[in-house]
Amino acid sequence: MVAGLVSLRHCCRTILGEAFNTRVALPRASFPHPRPLAGARSFTISHVQQARSILDDEGEVNDDWILKTGTGTSGQGPVNIADELTEEDITPTWAEQQFAVRRVPVSASYFTGNATFVDNLLALRALQRKYELLPTIPKDQVPPVKWKTLVEYNALAGKSVSASKFKQLTNILDRLNIIEPTLMPQDVQDVLAWYKRDTQGAVSTQKERTVDEFGRGYGLGRRKTSVARVYVLEGDGQVYINGKTLAEHFERLHDRESAIWPLLVTDRIDKYNVWATVDGGGKTGQAEALTLGVARALMVHEPALKPALRRAGCVTRDHRMVERKKPGHVKARKMPTWVKR
Amino acid sequence: MIIRRALPRPGLPAPSQCLRFPRQQRTLATSPGPESDLARHGKVLPTEPPARSQGHRIRPVTADRPFTLKDEFENFQNFRKQSSHTGSRLSRHYAPYKHASRPPSPSDLTLELLMASGAHLGHATALWNPGNQRYIFGIRNGIHIIGLEHTLSHLRRAARVVDRVVEVFGTVLVVGTRAGQERTVVQTAEMMGGYHLFTRWTAGGITNARQILAGEKVVEINDLGEPNPSGPMEDPIPVRPDLVICLNPLENYVLLKECGQFGIPTIGVIDTDADPTWVTYPIPANDDSLRCISLIAGVLGRAGQAGLRRREAEVAEWKLEGEQEDEEAMMEEEEQVEDEQMEIKNWEDFENYMKKREALQDEQLKEINKIQEDLPSTPTLW
Repeated sequence: MVAGLVSLRHCCRTILGEAFNTRVALPRASFPHPRPLAGARSFTISHVQQARSILDDEGEVNDDWILKTGTGTSGQGPVNIADELTEEDITPTWAEQQFAVRRVPVSASYFTGNATFVDNLLALRALQRKYELLPTIPKDQVPPVKWKTLVEYNALAGKSVSASKFKQLTNILDRLNIIEPTLMPQDVQDVLAWYKRDTQGAVSTQKERTVDEFGRGYGLGRRKTSVARVYVLEGDGQVYINGKTLAEHFERLHDRESAIWPLLVTDRIDKYNVWATVDGGGKTGQAEALTLGVARALMVHEPALKPALRRAGCVTRDHRMVERKKPGHVKARKMPTWVKR
Repeated sequence: MIIRRALPRPGLPAPSQCLRFPRQQRTLATSPGPESDLARHGKVLPTEPPARSQGHRIRPVTADRPFTLKDEFENFQNFRKQSSHTGSRLSRHYAPYKHASRPPSPSDLTLELLMASGAHLGHATALWNPGNQRYIFGIRNGIHIIGLEHTLSHLRRAARVVDRVVEVFGTVLVVGTRAGQERTVVQTAEMMGGYHLFTRWTAGGITNARQILAGEKVVEINDLGEPNPSGPMEDPIPVRPDLVICLNPLENYVLLKECGQFGIPTIGVIDTDADPTWVTYPIPANDDSLRCISLIAGVLGRAGQAGLRRREAEVAEWKLEGEQEDEEAMMEEEEQVEDEQMEIKNWEDFENYMKKREALQDEQLKEINKIQEDLPSTPTLW
């Protein structure tokens, strides 16, 4: 079978191939999917050969090769083939010069419909598996990094992926990013560099707060509609709010306790003085705005107190505000009493 | 929100004291720890490198040159490398995970291996599909037990199909969309040079491929495996798979239906609750067990690998053939050129000879004329 095929191919090449000095495509028995070659032309090799000889003569029109019908100019009389054909038409394409051609997807993820994304995901997962056992650094010591945004990634990948799928990528990137920097392999570094956003300067680094030249730590606290601007400095436990003492400003014991709660829970009440202005809202709001302000000012002096203050509920801004009244309701949610007719 | 019970109470340590303890970090067991610990242990640490008999050398730790995490890690790796050969060794034991990474070939497959992988476990009898009756061996504890002879024979048949399709340049798509099947699917496709799908099948990937697969890159490859040097095609006609291996047919009805519409043969793992007519080549087995699925996919992958190897050998043969033909053509061309040159030479010789001959003839003619002129004129008789 093979021997016969070879001789057939050889004969055909002898007849056709050498005349045109190219490999002529012929079906091979063991090659699947015999299908017309891409860009197959209607004219034969002899046409091309003749046209080439015409072009070679440059200007000398050979009357033997005037076709009776031409493309696009039917009814206009005889058309010179040399005018129609350009050098590009005559040069056979790569596919035409091959013995046989088949179409093959570039990526193994072709049938997923988004090959770039799936390939990227698989590459990152392979990296993660490879370096799973490398030591990592604690999350709070990881340098801040911004990955490419979804829009940027989609522009590079050429197809759009959903945010949740893109999150799969960034999750792996975050995991790779916490590998101990001295042990970070080069291939991981390259990959991370590719996924990093170009404008790394845009990373918002939190400004480190320090005590000012008078030894004061400053903190701003808000609660409901109150705003407290607080200065905390080392001292013996004096507290002045809007120029008045704590007891003068807050009648309720509960509010007094709230205002200096951060000092109370950390056992620092006799070690710092507080000087604050508080504005807006009611007494409770003002007291709890002070809590946040005092806590923030205290953390300027002693950053290590943050976990303890967080446990005491002094670090997080309480974002709850008065709920608006809705039409048809008596208050925010209260409905008018039902009346029988 | 303020948490009132966070106030320190007498008898409990103050929060500030609690803070002295460092946060837990992931370090290795031999880490020297914080500096205070290092100073405490500084006296007892050896100042000279340990003897070579220990197998691995670790430089001495001093207060000014403590071990970094990198040193620790490298030491640990060295230690692992050198101590990995020590200890007792188990031989000839069943390690199921090995079938995932190094799957057996179809000829090495045994009924015992299938049973150990849980291939015989079907579904509760109430869930059965009567189409599977001939694959079912019996009922035990309310579930159907699949006859493993059927599994083995059907798996071997499917393996032959994969083998042959891969050998004749077929495009094989491996599909497994259940959780945990991803690596099996990717590995199987990789073994046979095929394509993988471990996420949801986009409906219309075959019937509406012009839309679904638009923009995916396709390249032309010739019979010798060389790609078109001008890169991927512009706006290609989408490629269809020539064979689809589906590890969970129940969830991929749409895919199998599309394959049926286009006459694409399919291989599927059919549990007792699945319809065996959905696929062309069913493999009756437990599709809920990852171990069983990885074994079946691995066997098919091995078969595809064998086909791929034969195909590569064939392509290599074609390549050699082509090179020989090119050489012959070159030789012929050279011969032709030589012949022409010889011809030209002969022609030139002939021309010279003729010229010489003409010249000779001219001379002779001239001589004759001269002689005739010199002859005394004969008297005329008339």
